[in-house]
Amino acid sequence: MTLTEPDRTVTAAAHAVDLFKTYGTGDAAVHALSGVNVAFDRGRFTAVMGPSGSGKSTLMHCMAGLDRPTSGRTFIGGQDISLLNDAGLTQLRRDRIGFVFQAFNLVPTLTARENVTLPADLAGKKVDLEWLAYLADALGITDRLSHRPSELSGGQQQRVACARALINRPELIFADEPTGNLDSNSSAEMLGFLRRSVREFEQSVVMVTHDPRGAAFSDCVVFLGDGKVVGELQAPTEDSVLERMRQMGT
Amino acid sequence: MWKVAVRGMRAHKLRLVLTALAIVLGVTFISGTYVLTDTLNNTFSVLFGNIYKHVDFQVRGVAAFESNAPGGGAVRRAIPESLLAKVRRVPGVGVAQGTVAGYAQYIARDGKAVVTGGAPTIGLSFDPNDELSALRLTQGTAPTSPHDVVMDAGTAGKYHFTVGDRVRILLLGPPETFTITGIATFGTANNLAGATLAAFTLTTAQALFHEPGRLDSINVRVAPGADKTQVQRALAAILPHGVEVVTGQTVVNEQTSTISKALGFFSIALLVFAFISLFVGAFTIFNTFTITVGQRTRELALLRIVGASRRQVFWSVLVEAAVIGLVSSLIGLALGVLAAVGLVKLLSGFGITLPTGPLVFEARTAIVGLLVGVGVTLVAAVGPARNAVRIPPVAALVDHPVVHAATLRRRYVVGGLFSAVGIGALADGLTKPAIQLVGLGAVCIFIGVAQLAPVVARPIASVLGRPLAKLLGTPGRLGRENSMRSPRRTAQTASALMIGLALISAVAVFGASLSRSATSSIDNAISANLIVTSSSNGMGGFSDTVPGVAAAVAGVTATSTVYAGEFEFQHSISTMTAISTKSVGLTLILRMTEGTVGALAHGELLVDSTTAMTSHVAVGDFVSVRFAKTGASTVRIGGIYEPNALIGSYLSGDGFFLSHFENPVPLAVLLQTNGSTGVERRVIAALHAYPNLKIQTRTQFEKAQQAQVSQLLGLIYALLALAVLIALIGIVNTLMLSVFERTREIGLLRAVGMKRRQVRTMIRAESVILALFGAIIGILVGTFLGVALAASLRQQGITEIAVPVSSLVTFLVLAGLLGLGAASWPARHAAKLDVLAAISTE
Ligand SMILES: Nc1ncnc2c1ncn2[C@@H]1O[C@H](COP(=O)(O)OP(=O)(O)OP(=O)(O)O)[C@@H](O)[C@H]1O
Ligand SMILES: [Mg+2]
Repeated sequence: MTLTEPDRTVTAAAHAVDLFKTYGTGDAAVHALSGVNVAFDRGRFTAVMGPSGSGKSTLMHCMAGLDRPTSGRTFIGGQDISLLNDAGLTQLRRDRIGFVFQAFNLVPTLTARENVTLPADLAGKKVDLEWLAYLADALGITDRLSHRPSELSGGQQQRVACARALINRPELIFADEPTGNLDSNSSAEMLGFLRRSVREFEQSVVMVTHDPRGAAFSDCVVFLGDGKVVGELQAPTEDSVLERMRQMGT
Repeated sequence: MWKVAVRGMRAHKLRLVLTALAIVLGVTFISGTYVLTDTLNNTFSVLFGNIYKHVDFQVRGVAAFESNAPGGGAVRRAIPESLLAKVRRVPGVGVAQGTVAGYAQYIARDGKAVVTGGAPTIGLSFDPNDELSALRLTQGTAPTSPHDVVMDAGTAGKYHFTVGDRVRILLLGPPETFTITGIATFGTANNLAGATLAAFTLTTAQALFHEPGRLDSINVRVAPGADKTQVQRALAAILPHGVEVVTGQTVVNEQTSTISKALGFFSIALLVFAFISLFVGAFTIFNTFTITVGQRTRELALLRIVGASRRQVFWSVLVEAAVIGLVSSLIGLALGVLAAVGLVKLLSGFGITLPTGPLVFEARTAIVGLLVGVGVTLVAAVGPARNAVRIPPVAALVDHPVVHAATLRRRYVVGGLFSAVGIGALADGLTKPAIQLVGLGAVCIFIGVAQLAPVVARPIASVLGRPLAKLLGTPGRLGRENSMRSPRRTAQTASALMIGLALISAVAVFGASLSRSATSSIDNAISANLIVTSSSNGMGGFSDTVPGVAAAVAGVTATSTVYAGEFEFQHSISTMTAISTKSVGLTLILRMTEGTVGALAHGELLVDSTTAMTSHVAVGDFVSVRFAKTGASTVRIGGIYEPNALIGSYLSGDGFFLSHFENPVPLAVLLQTNGSTGVERRVIAALHAYPNLKIQTRTQFEKAQQAQVSQLLGLIYALLALAVLIALIGIVNTLMLSVFERTREIGLLRAVGMKRRQVRTMIRAESVILALFGAIIGILVGTFLGVALAASLRQQGITEIAVPVSSLVTFLVLAGLLGLGAASWPARHAAKLDVLAAISTE
C-alpha cells in the first residue's frame, strides 16, 4: 500500500517508510529493498507475494525488528522501531510480535507446551491457561503438548509454532512461508486457523507465501518485485492471484 | 584431503587454540622438568669435577651400606688418623690431607639459628692445601686457632658477616663462639645448593665433631711424575681391612650420582603431574574432536559422496590432530625452557641458591616432549576419526543426520570392564605395594568411569539443574535441558574435570587421614608434656648437651632422648629409633603385645607387631643386624609393640644405640613435668642458648605435624590445579562448540524475545551443571581412591581414615564457581549472536 492515503498508516498494525536494504558494497551491492512504502492493516490478514529474491523475507525481518534497514523507518502500531536498541527490540518481539518461520520454529529440548509458553516464560509473565487451552484445542495439538518437537510431525510442529505466536496476544504475527514444508491438507488447516484468528479476535497477520491457494486465505495481497512494492490485490481468490501473477510476468 | 583438513583447521582457529592449550601445558611441564634437572645435574657434576680436580685418590672407609633416605649416599666408618702418616710415606704420594665433617649450624646476629630449608648445615675441616680443598678462600685467611672459622660466601652474604666478625655456632656439644678468619666459596659456587658450611682447623673439627684421632677420608695428590696406578696399588697394600682407596673421578661420579638420584625423585614427581595434565588434556581433545566430527557430519558425508575414501576421511581428522599436537608440543618445549629458568629464580627466591651453569637442553627432552605431545593428541583423536569414517554418504542428504556411534551398551561393557580391571590393579598395587600398578589402576578407573558417566549424566544433570531452573526461570530451565540433551557430551566434558577433582579429593582424603593418624599416633605414643625438636623441619638434630640442660630445670621430672639411624635388619636397610631407657615409661607409651619395655635396658630390640609378622620374628629370637660402625652382629628380640608411625618399626635403648652408631645427634627430647606453672617457660629460658630448638607442648607438636601435612597438601593442590585448569578449558571449548552448534536455536530464542542477559544465564546454567556433575563424580571417585590408598597404608602408620567433608564441599562449590567462570566467554559470544544471522544459518 502506498502512502498516498496517509490516514491508513495511523491505524496500521505496522508500516514502513522509504525502506532500503542493501547487502554488500560497491559492485557486489545487492539492493534487497529499494524504497518500500507499505502498511499492514490492523485486524487483517495480509499476504506478501513475489518471485524468489524479491525481498519478501528481508522486508519481514526489517519490519519485525529482526534486522535493521539501511535507511528508512519502520513502525509497529505507530511506534518507530528504528529508534529502539537491542533490548527494546527484544522486548518488542517478545511482547508485541509473534513469529512463525518456515522451519526450525521450536526449541528441541522443550516440550510443545513449553515451546508455546516460551515468550511468556521469558517475560516472566503468567501464562493465560484458558487461552492456552483454547489455542491448543483450536489447533488440535492438545494431546501433543507434552511431546518434544522431534516426536511431532511437520504440520504439528508448525501448529505449535502458531500457538506460540499467538500466546502473548501480539499486535501482529509475522509468518514467513509457514506452510512451505507442509502438504496441502496441513497447509489448509493452518491457514484456516490463521484466518479464524483474524476473524474471531481481530488478530493482525502478515504472511509471506509463494502459494496462490494460500494467498487466497488472506484479505489483501501485497506484491513485491525487485525490492519494490509492485501491486496490491484486495479480497484475493486463487484465480485472481494467479491472474495477477501472470500479468506481472512471473 | 590435505586441503580439507587445513581449511577445516583455519575455519576453527579458536577451537584449535583451546585444544592445543592442554597439550602445551603438559609438554611445558615435561620439558621444564627435564631442562631443570638436566641443567642442575650438569652444573653439579661440573662443580664436583672442579672441586676434586686435583684429588687423584681418596682413602676412606668401605661403604657399610647405601642409605635409604632420598639423596643419601653410602654410610661409612671413620678411619684412624694414624693412617695419614702411613699414606704420606707411600712412595709417589705428593700431598695427602685428612678431612672430617659433622654438624655445625650458625646463629645469625638476631640470635636465631640460620635455617636452610632442607639443605644440611655442614661443619668440616679446613684443608690448608689449596689444591685438595673443596673450599676456595675469597677473603681473609685459613683458620689457625681453635676459635677460628671460615664461613661460606652464601651465608656471609645473606646474614651480613665479614672477616673479623664473631659468630656463634651450634654444635654436637654446647654452642661456641668463633672468629671468622675467612670467607670461602665451595668450588666455584657460593655454597652447596643452599647448605651452609663452617670450616675449622682439622684438630678443632675433630674435637667438635667428637672424632678425635679419626678422619672421614684422606685426599691424596700424586707427586709429579709418579705413576698413578702404581701409587694406587701401593696405597691399597698398606690399608687395613675396611678401608679402601678410590680415584678422585670415582668420588666425583658418586657425588654427582647422589645428587642426580635426589633430582630423579624430584623429576619423577613433576613428571607425574605432567602426565596427569596430559591425561586430562587427552579427554578434552577427544571431546573436541568428537563434537567437531559430529558437527561436520554433513561435510564429511559430502566428501564421501564426491569420492573421498574412508581412509582419506580418517586421515583428514588425524592429520588435523597431528598438526595440533606437533605445534603445541613445540610451543610447550619452548615454554618449558622458560619455566625451568623461572623455577631456578623462584628457588633462589626461597633461599635455595643453586650453582649457576649453562642451560642444558638434551635431545631426549625434545624427543620425549614431541612424542608424548603428538602421541597423546593422536591417540585421543583416533576414536573420533573412526566415528568420522562411519558416517554414511547419505548423511549429506537427510535433514537430521543421525550417526550411530558405538552403542551405549557397548560403552557400558567397556566402561565396566575398565573399571573392574582398574579396581583390580589398584587393589593389587596397593597390597603389594607397587606404585605403577596403583597408577595404572587409577587410570583404568578414570577411563571406566568416564565411559559409564553418560548413564547417570541425565538424571544427575536433571537434579542439579532443578534448583537452577527454579532460581533462574526459563533461561535456567533451558540451560538444564541443554545439559541433559546429550548425556554423552555432558559426561565427556565433565570427565576431564572429574579426573582433576578425583585426584584433588583423593589427596584431600589421604591428607586428612594422614593428619588424623599423625595426631593419634602422637597421642598413642607420647605421654611427655613437652617435646624438644630441631626447628629445621624436624629433620636435623641438635647438641647432645640439650637433654642435660633440660633435665636440670626445676619441675622437669623425666627426660628421654630420642635418636634414629639406619641399620640393616635381616639384610634390608631400616631405620632404628632409640630412646633413653631410664625414664622411657614416663615419657613414651608403648602398647606391648608381647615382652616388656624393660628389655630395652638389656640391649634388646623391640619391633612392632607388623614387622614381627612380616619378618617372622618372635620374642626371644636372635636376629642378624648390621651397623656401619660395628659391623654384623645379632640381637635378641625383647618385645613386640603395637605399630605407631611416630616410633617406627624398630626401637632400641640409648645405650645399645650409642654403642653402634657414630656420633649420633639427638633428634628429640621428651620431657615429663610435674605440671607446676611456668615449667615450660623455664625450659625455654634454660635452652635459650640453642636457638635451633623448638619447644612444644604435645598439642603444639600435633598442630605442627598437621601443619606440615597441610603444607604438603597445598603444594600438591597447586600442581593439580593445572589439571583442573585444563579441564576448565575443556568446558569452555565444549560450550563454545555447543553455542556454534545451536546458533539457530539461540537465534530463534532471541527472535521470540529472549534477552541477551537471559541467553548468558542459560549458557552459564549449563556450564555450572556440567562442572558440578564432573565435580560430584570426581569427588566420589576421589574419595574412594583416597580411602583405598589410606587403608592400604595402615602398616605404614595411617591408622585412621578421615573424609574431610568440609573440604570436599568446598571443592564442589569451587567447581561450580569455576564452571560459572568458564561460561563467561561462550555466554558472551552466544549473547552477541546476530539474531538474523542465527535464524538464517544453514
Ligand atoms: N545476508 C545477505 N547477504 C547478501 N545478500 C542477501 C542476504 N540476504 C538476502 N540477500 C539478497 O537479498 C535479496 C532478497 O532476499 P530475500 O531473502 O528477501 O528474498 P525472498 O523474497 O525472501 O526470496 P525467497 O522467496 O527465495 O525466500 C536476494 O537477492 C538475496 O540474494
Ligand atoms: Mg524468503
